[in-house]
Amino acid sequence: MKKYSVLMLMAFFSAIPSLSPAAAIKIGVINSITGPEAPIGENLTNGTKLAQEDLKKKNINVDLVWEDDTGKPQIAMSAMEKLATRDKVVGVVGPYTSACANAVAKLAEKYKVSLLVPAAAKEEITRQGYKWVYRMNAPADVYASVLIDAALSMGKPKTIAFIYENTDFGTSTTKTAREYVAKKGIKVVADESYSKGSPDYRSTLTKIKARNPDLVFMVSYVADAILLMRQAREIQLQPKAFLGGGAGFTTAEFAREKEISNGVFACTQWTDDVSWPDAKEFARRYKSRFGKEPTYHAACAYASMMVMAETAAKAGGDREKVRIELKKGKWNGIMGEVKFADYDGFTNQNRHQMLVEQIQNGKYETVFPLIFATKKHLYPFPKWQ
Amino acid sequence: MTVFLQSLISGILIGGVYALIGIGLTMIFGVMRVINFAHGDIMMVGMYLTYNLFTLCGIDPFASVVICIPVMFLFGGFLQKIFINRVLNALPQNQILLTIGLGLIMSNTIMLIYTSDYKILTTSYSSGSFRIAGISISEPLAISFLITVIITAALYWFLMKTDMGQAIRATAQDREAAQLMGINVKRMSVIAFGLGTALAGTAGALITPTYYIFPQIGSTFTLKAFVITVLGGMGSVIGATLGGVIIGIAESMGAVYISSGWKEVLVYVIFLLVLLFKPSGLMGKSRM
Amino acid sequence: MNSPAKSAITKPPKSKAPPVTYLLATVALLSLLFAFPQIVDSPYTLHMMILIFLSIILGESWNILGGYTGQYSVGHAAYFGTGAYTTMMLMQYAQVPPWLGVWVGVAVAIIVALAIGSICFRLRGPYFVLASIAAAEIIRLTALNVKSFTNGAEGILATDIPPLKLGAILITDFSSKLPFYYTGLILVLLTILMTWLVQHSKLGYCLQAIREDQDAAHSLGINLTLHKNIALIISAAFTSTAGSFYAVYIGFIDPTSVLSLDMSVQIVLICIIGGIGTIFGPVAGAIILVPLSEALRSNMIAQGLFKAGLVGEESSIGIFLKDNLAHSHVLIYGILVVVVILFMPEGVLGFISKFVHGKTRRGVS
Repeated sequence: MKKYSVLMLMAFFSAIPSLSPAAAIKIGVINSITGPEAPIGENLTNGTKLAQEDLKKKNINVDLVWEDDTGKPQIAMSAMEKLATRDKVVGVVGPYTSACANAVAKLAEKYKVSLLVPAAAKEEITRQGYKWVYRMNAPADVYASVLIDAALSMGKPKTIAFIYENTDFGTSTTKTAREYVAKKGIKVVADESYSKGSPDYRSTLTKIKARNPDLVFMVSYVADAILLMRQAREIQLQPKAFLGGGAGFTTAEFAREKEISNGVFACTQWTDDVSWPDAKEFARRYKSRFGKEPTYHAACAYASMMVMAETAAKAGGDREKVRIELKKGKWNGIMGEVKFADYDGFTNQNRHQMLVEQIQNGKYETVFPLIFATKKHLYPFPKWQ
Repeated sequence: MTVFLQSLISGILIGGVYALIGIGLTMIFGVMRVINFAHGDIMMVGMYLTYNLFTLCGIDPFASVVICIPVMFLFGGFLQKIFINRVLNALPQNQILLTIGLGLIMSNTIMLIYTSDYKILTTSYSSGSFRIAGISISEPLAISFLITVIITAALYWFLMKTDMGQAIRATAQDREAAQLMGINVKRMSVIAFGLGTALAGTAGALITPTYYIFPQIGSTFTLKAFVITVLGGMGSVIGATLGGVIIGIAESMGAVYISSGWKEVLVYVIFLLVLLFKPSGLMGKSRM
Repeated sequence: MNSPAKSAITKPPKSKAPPVTYLLATVALLSLLFAFPQIVDSPYTLHMMILIFLSIILGESWNILGGYTGQYSVGHAAYFGTGAYTTMMLMQYAQVPPWLGVWVGVAVAIIVALAIGSICFRLRGPYFVLASIAAAEIIRLTALNVKSFTNGAEGILATDIPPLKLGAILITDFSSKLPFYYTGLILVLLTILMTWLVQHSKLGYCLQAIREDQDAAHSLGINLTLHKNIALIISAAFTSTAGSFYAVYIGFIDPTSVLSLDMSVQIVLICIIGGIGTIFGPVAGAIILVPLSEALRSNMIAQGLFKAGLVGEESSIGIFLKDNLAHSHVLIYGILVVVVILFMPEGVLGFISKFVHGKTRRGVS
């Protein structure tokens, strides 16, 4: 029985050759399609699909091999092993989560396949000196610094409270924020992590309210952001500014809840009104294609796929050439100027300019840095009704 | 003092919703001794039902309870007859895995239909609140607490005063003896599972105005439901209500006086302590 | 509690001398497994084999406590995670090589197991199950919150594994599959040997007696707490070893990947699908589950259909399959679990032997 199974298994995994016409360029996509990270993964999937359509228009025929990592590192590794050795892709875009990207980066280096991480925030991913690992988005430390800098340029905040989800994204963003505010002389008065999906944050917020911080810095995924702000309003938490660390504070759903979201600042990798080429056009087409506004995840995935596919087409499917071209290349698209550079211990990291946006009348307005600003910022946070 | 009162009040209010989930499970666990790992997923189905009723037919989430209860009751009866009934005498781990499998089927079917996007249901009162002596009380939570109290009272009356309710309680106390007394335990199981499902679905409906929905949300509530059920005592409606409120307060107080990261540890420690020192639960009769 | 199971306990079967054919088959299988990396050098296939080995080790370990002793723990992630974390923390913070760290992991896991056991073994049936889950959740939340030790949700990344000297061989390349393939294989053989020894010893009969009827076993003079704890220690030690193996192989751990309820459920699933309380049940479970979930996940089924020419890739069915199968592999997995539980309650092995011999397998309650 066992012998047969092993033989069948051998046949199963080694005999099925990959199938594709020789002309198309094979690129792997690892993403969280199912599992707890799927809600965000969905945006990356959509962004990638749109990129595929645009590439076709540019006469670049890509054959995408989709892999679901279900949000688990060991499965992301299986996916990478398969893409690198069985499907023989020339490059890989993904995975979404930091944990998966970290596990996969090691394999990219081993199999010498370029990996372009579109939206994972963990700093370490591009800090290990890997030659084959590239990252599109700005890492976690920028999330914090861009927001704190914005707050410091608006007023003189003395104290800050952190509330963040106890995931990799939440803790690593807050960690860098803690270091950054220490440098800037702002005092941390509360530091609270929470498990995502909890229906009640009132008590935590009440505790923060009692410490009366000038700034409230929050890191949460989509829906928790709305819950946090609803409950902050309920208990009348009234800091000078609410700072949202990406993700949940940058979604259209959040902006639509005008009553609670007006005046909240959020840092983001991308906005739909930014002056980068085709950004507005991307937003419009995304909306008509998928019936909802694009998040920065979608934009990151789109830009990453465009960069990877164009490079791969130019390199003619040669892995080593793809790596060299990625390192040398310079692109200008919906994410602004993209260039993979080595600096401050990072390797192959796109020095992406993060933006700070503020919700005004139910719409995101870019307010920092000033060269990208579309509206003047509102500070301090208006009194709750 | 305000901090203390504020967290006490919000703990009690959120405890009301927990209680409803716990009561649903206590019916199922009490009558069938089946560890239902799909309980949170059933609640998720209730949430999507409410969401659809609201977005498609414009029915208010709280009013939709009237539709939610019968629909979910039928759904639960169906689950029991087709699946659960076959494993009533199986090993506990087979029961667990069956319900886990059913949960996976539910959440992934919903995902195929609605995608895995977060859905937020915003009503005019979603972020409303009123204040009493400096303490703010969430309007939707207050309403749902009230509805929970009404449903619990009605259920208690049903179990205590009607023949069928007594038959269900008898089945919960001793399945074999109940059968010997001429009670149709199979039918009672279907009804109990239906009621449990309806209550979980109702809890889902009540929490939607203040919460959000996505297909994998169930697992957050499944474990909590077990803690509440064991805390209160198997098959005890009053116990589950008490358990829900205690867990609500424990979480709330834990977040304020320990830290929000540790509040769940507190919940599990309470759970283990109860199992060790009063295994029958706060309101249950000894069953060990 | 059927009669064949009873007789299996009361009357130890005489160990028959294995026929020559069995012996030859075993030798052939073993040499095939040892030569496998030389025959197939696809890293992907080897990776799958390593995952299967890992699942077998986990399944066999759970089997000692769950299958033989009847203590259905759904909290084995606690021991898996303890092993993984201890090894990883020692390696990253104290430069202790993993092949030494694994022993510390085992020691810590045994201490954790005894602590959990002292609480859970007072309970029975569903209460035991729930208590084991709660205990494992406490450990997961602790790992999440004690950031200074465990790095919290950010997890621990293995950066450098020191070289290992085995006699004349010096192993430095830990990104190669080979060291892990052979370590995994040897661990599998060890766990199977351990299970065989347990099953054929007095301990095994005591454990099975406890599973069949705790009170009867007690009245026969079997010390319940002692035997349950012995089973737990064996089970936790091997699970912890598997955890260390996982940590070093994957090179990254965080509370969600090694300590979650999901992990515990996966471990139980291997046994249930294969068949509990037998030596080869977990082996069958792992050989079925690991490739199956991988095939479902990576959409090999749709590709197979296209390749066989059964469905056109550009036809409407083909497009439907391509679009939806990637989203529905967990759904199909769920359906399969439900089908196996309903129609093969004794697992696939039990089902097959019932089918072949027309009788129930030995050792199932």
